[in-house]
Amino acid sequence: MEQLLQHLVNGLVLGGTYALLGIGLTLIFGLMNVVNFAHGEFYTLGAYAAFAALALGGVDFVVAVLAAIGAGALLGALCERVLLRPLRAESIDTTMLVMIGVWIAMQNGELLVWGGVAKSIPHPFPTAPLVLGPVSIAPLRVFVLVLAAGLIAASYLLIHRTKLGRAMRATFQDRDTAALMGVRISRIHTATFAFGSALAAAAGALLGPVFLAYPSMGDLAALKAFCVVILGGLGNLPGATLGGLLLGIAEELGAGYVSSGYRDAVGFVIIILVLLLRPSGLFAREERIG
Amino acid sequence: MTAPEGGPLLRVEELHAAYGPVAALRGLDLTVGQGELVCLIGANGAGKTSTLRAISGLLPAARGRILFDGRPIHAAEPAEILEAGIAHCPEGRRVFPYLTVQENLEMGAYVRRDRHAVAEDLERVCTHFPILAERRRQMAGTLSGGEQQMLAIARALMARPRLILFDEPSLGLAPTLVETTFEIIADIRRRGTTVLMVEQNAYGALRMADRGYVMETGRIVLAGPARALLDDDHVRRAYLGG
Ligand SMILES: Nc1ncnc2c1ncn2[C@@H]1O[C@H](COP(=O)(O)OP(=O)(O)O)[C@@H](O)[C@H]1O
Ligand SMILES: [Mg+2]
Repeated sequence: MEQLLQHLVNGLVLGGTYALLGIGLTLIFGLMNVVNFAHGEFYTLGAYAAFAALALGGVDFVVAVLAAIGAGALLGALCERVLLRPLRAESIDTTMLVMIGVWIAMQNGELLVWGGVAKSIPHPFPTAPLVLGPVSIAPLRVFVLVLAAGLIAASYLLIHRTKLGRAMRATFQDRDTAALMGVRISRIHTATFAFGSALAAAAGALLGPVFLAYPSMGDLAALKAFCVVILGGLGNLPGATLGGLLLGIAEELGAGYVSSGYRDAVGFVIIILVLLLRPSGLFAREERIG
Repeated sequence: MTAPEGGPLLRVEELHAAYGPVAALRGLDLTVGQGELVCLIGANGAGKTSTLRAISGLLPAARGRILFDGRPIHAAEPAEILEAGIAHCPEGRRVFPYLTVQENLEMGAYVRRDRHAVAEDLERVCTHFPILAERRRQMAGTLSGGEQQMLAIARALMARPRLILFDEPSLGLAPTLVETTFEIIADIRRRGTTVLMVEQNAYGALRMADRGYVMETGRIVLAGPARALLDDDHVRRAYLGG
């Protein structure tokens, strides 16, 4: 029982960042119909941005996460403007291939800039765990969980309480009619891609210090983001949030009760089951974005 | 054919447009005068919806010109055309089903920057359409067909347009609601907004319009005062059932 609580807490920490990754990917997928294979690279970008800010810039951790978010948003916007906008009329296969190209290019870029040796990202938190009854948790992980929760809440506010978010939902529901309302669809696409990439970068900046930063770290992250999207249903924000938490917890339970070697396999077993039994996702509703 | 009252607000000249290889408009000419209510009738597939989509910038013009208030708009984006003063209430209502009634109305005012006036207009629209006020927090997809039509009209009004394009506003509505919808549109025009309306209910539309155009395979084949079209033999046979 005590172990279970501990696993749940660890699972929430992981799951919160998976949710960020998943929300970003599901928005891009749902609204733009782009299968973003480069999503994991924005995660990596976030980890390295945090590394640069913390190790080289010596800034506060929160500032480092904000820097990562900024870098993700900027590169995401650039990527959409330069590569995806000219391909708006093309099929989903074309953009998918382009994003695979971006994935390879970004990963090799990271290798070039940062080298292949994994980097440990310094963080200002004490390493002694906080002990709360049966559960012990590193202060860094508490911080990661709190910040992830804050960013998830901010995403909801953006989608449901701002004019931009309303335009994003309208565009998702009926593109032509949104255009008739004066929504500039290309701008919505740029904003969506920038936003999704910023969330992936935030996840990388948060999990980077928990683990290590290395150029291929995004590959597994991208796969997990796809898992979350499949779990939650396309374009479904609450689905991605719950899917992320569920995946994090399932991984921890798998690692704890089966074998730590199976940690990453657990998620994929779940995905296969979901695809077989409920292909539209665990939380399928008709509404998606939002 | 009577001249439009006032100067023409909208002038479409020799307009051609296509969906890939399928030509939809083949040299369309029409004008709408300031303050007029003009209706466009024609069989299914004649190109009525395409005409409205071309005017509001959703369907690119291949050839020809569209002038609004004397300024060319055929190369403009939908957002620019709306900002210029043309709102489009599309065929099939097309409310955003998973936005609330209020959010749908706010989408109608998306391009406006005058937030106070928008808030006032929202209240005014809700007074004018009490059914929308009641359902303000409800998802638009849960409304009945008639309520959705009211919402679509109200949403178009939220842009404070000078010209509204209506595409088959009576489609799929019960007869009493058709009457209500036509009254609302007549009222909009009385308040000074110019209207270009596409209708399959040719009789109802011609009865309330100043002028009418008859469209066949992408061009205008007949034009005139609405009363004259109601008496025209060809129109009677083809569109009025007798
Ligand atoms: N999205 C589309 N793709 C291809 N052809 C279309 C499309 N929409 C309309 N058309 C064609 O364009 C012509 C005019 O259609 P439309 O403007 O919808 O006519 P109406 O509104 O008068 O019924 C028709 O031949 C129709 O088949
Ligand atoms: Mg039509």
